[in-house]
Amino acid sequence: MSLLAISEQAINGLIIGSFYALTALGLAVIFGVLRIVNFAHGELYMLGGYAYYLAIASLGIPPLAAILIAVAALFVIGAAIEGLLIRPIHTGKIDRPDEYAIMITFALSVFLLNLANSVFGPWPQRPEPLMRGRVEIGELIISGDRLAAASAAIVMIAIVVFALRYTWAGKAVRAVSQDRQAAEIYGISVQRAGLIAFGTGAALAGLAGALIGPVFNVVPIMGVVPVIKAYIIVVLGGLGSIPGAIIGAIILGQVESFATILIPDPSRALAYKDAYGLIVLVAVLLLRPQGLFGTKDRRA
Amino acid sequence: MSQAALRSIIGAALLVAFVLLPFAGLSDYWTYTVTIGFYYALLAASWSLLVGYVGRISFAQAAMSGLGGYASALGVLEFGLPIGLGLVFAALIAGLVGYVLGWLTLRLHGAYLGLTTIAFGEILRISVTAEHWLTEGSLGLQVPPLIPGGSRLEYYYIFLAITVGCLAAMGLLLRSRIGLFFQSIREDEDGAASLGVAVTTWKCVAFAISSAFAGLAGGLYAHFVQLIAPSMMSLQEMGVILAMAVIGGFHNILYAALGGMLLQVLLEALREVEQWRLVVFGLVTILVLRFAPNGLFGMLSNIFVRRRNSDG
Repeated sequence: MSLLAISEQAINGLIIGSFYALTALGLAVIFGVLRIVNFAHGELYMLGGYAYYLAIASLGIPPLAAILIAVAALFVIGAAIEGLLIRPIHTGKIDRPDEYAIMITFALSVFLLNLANSVFGPWPQRPEPLMRGRVEIGELIISGDRLAAASAAIVMIAIVVFALRYTWAGKAVRAVSQDRQAAEIYGISVQRAGLIAFGTGAALAGLAGALIGPVFNVVPIMGVVPVIKAYIIVVLGGLGSIPGAIIGAIILGQVESFATILIPDPSRALAYKDAYGLIVLVAVLLLRPQGLFGTKDRRA
Repeated sequence: MSQAALRSIIGAALLVAFVLLPFAGLSDYWTYTVTIGFYYALLAASWSLLVGYVGRISFAQAAMSGLGGYASALGVLEFGLPIGLGLVFAALIAGLVGYVLGWLTLRLHGAYLGLTTIAFGEILRISVTAEHWLTEGSLGLQVPPLIPGGSRLEYYYIFLAITVGCLAAMGLLLRSRIGLFFQSIREDEDGAASLGVAVTTWKCVAFAISSAFAGLAGGLYAHFVQLIAPSMMSLQEMGVILAMAVIGGFHNILYAALGGMLLQVLLEALREVEQWRLVVFGLVTILVLRFAPNGLFGMLSNIFVRRRNSDG
């Protein structure tokens, strides 16, 4: 394989990996603070795509502003979901909190997916991309919409990582994910941290959906496959681990990008493409449930 | 009258109602719909056996049902099994795969278990789709009928009989010591183990039994509709099963089964509102989980018992 082909695949992998990282980062932030896996994450991603599409198509807002609107809208939706459905888990109002958390988010995904199907229709929409044309670096050609979307994703990831590290709210979120009770004793509002975490997680998923929308179309089922990738990534990196989510996304992006050109018998390889990651997920959970970077629970 | 007696009277009344239903002027179309309802009732009950009694969540139930469907169909088509044996084969294969899944996931709980079972179910679905030399992939597999040239009514009574038989078997199992073992695992796994319950064994067995019933349901369904596709193993289908069990009440196999029947009938009755049906079911599922965790039938029975107590 030529150097050009290798770098092309590597860049493709990085671009895909940056979208994966956005979605997975949201899951990780939510798990860290609230100790739940958000099984409706793919539908929040899908809503981000529609928010972006609607902002452009019906309000006539320019793409860059539409991205910000999608992020803000999903933050509000996420915060509302947390306040209405997730908060009762931590206030002792639910008999079997673990079971409830899994089922309520799964039911939420059924609800949101079919709601989008009913309201927007099952057909795909293609919103205007952030940037048109293509970029040439030497012999490498990258389409502009993908490059712009990946850059936006990387900027957003950097902002979130920075905010978690240095801002007061970010520190509160990290404190709660390290030790809920100790954080509360030190005067941190765990409820507000939960609200911020779920809102941020939803906003990150929404951003990913909004960025992907112009590349792969906006359609109600668009979140179903990416969210499974995000599960694989957060499990690989360790549930709740922020660096784990980013590194896991880079690994999965590269693996998928190279697997498609390295495996012989292309039709079979393509049919099983989505299964490889799932096998990784099962293997990691069975052999090392804490993943690459997660903290070890006594009971996974 | 004791509560137990009341319960058996309600159970018997339901049974009689379903036996007499076809004579109440049920059209062919509705006989068909209610027959499919028995499939969902059995599937939802098998899921509630695992989730409601043992406290082990699984999102692989739809995949297990599909596995049973394909196992029975291929057993009949490839090995020339009679259809009755094909159904047994379906239950055995699904039970065996369920046992393995239970064994693999012994150490996992909560969200980790949910993720593993999602991945497991999806791997099964992808494999069935990919191996089209055997399964015809997403085109769907033609399956020979359960009763060649059988009428809708014959299917109805076979499905009714098998569903009632399976529910009775599940009920007996749950009332036995094994049922107590299951519930002790749900309440406190370490505590149960310290009192001598073989937690490891029963967790695997619970997965196996629940999957075997799902496989049997899938096999029956395959030989009734005579065309199966991998979409019956999808997570969307799993969402429907979860909604059925939760809305009916997943802490009780009978309530879950009634939930399956209720939702299937409503799905058909409300055909003109199309996708909105599932929107409403999703919303009702969320509301039930949040405000009536025992499900609609659990809530009804609680209200009924309370009223009787206040009267007496």
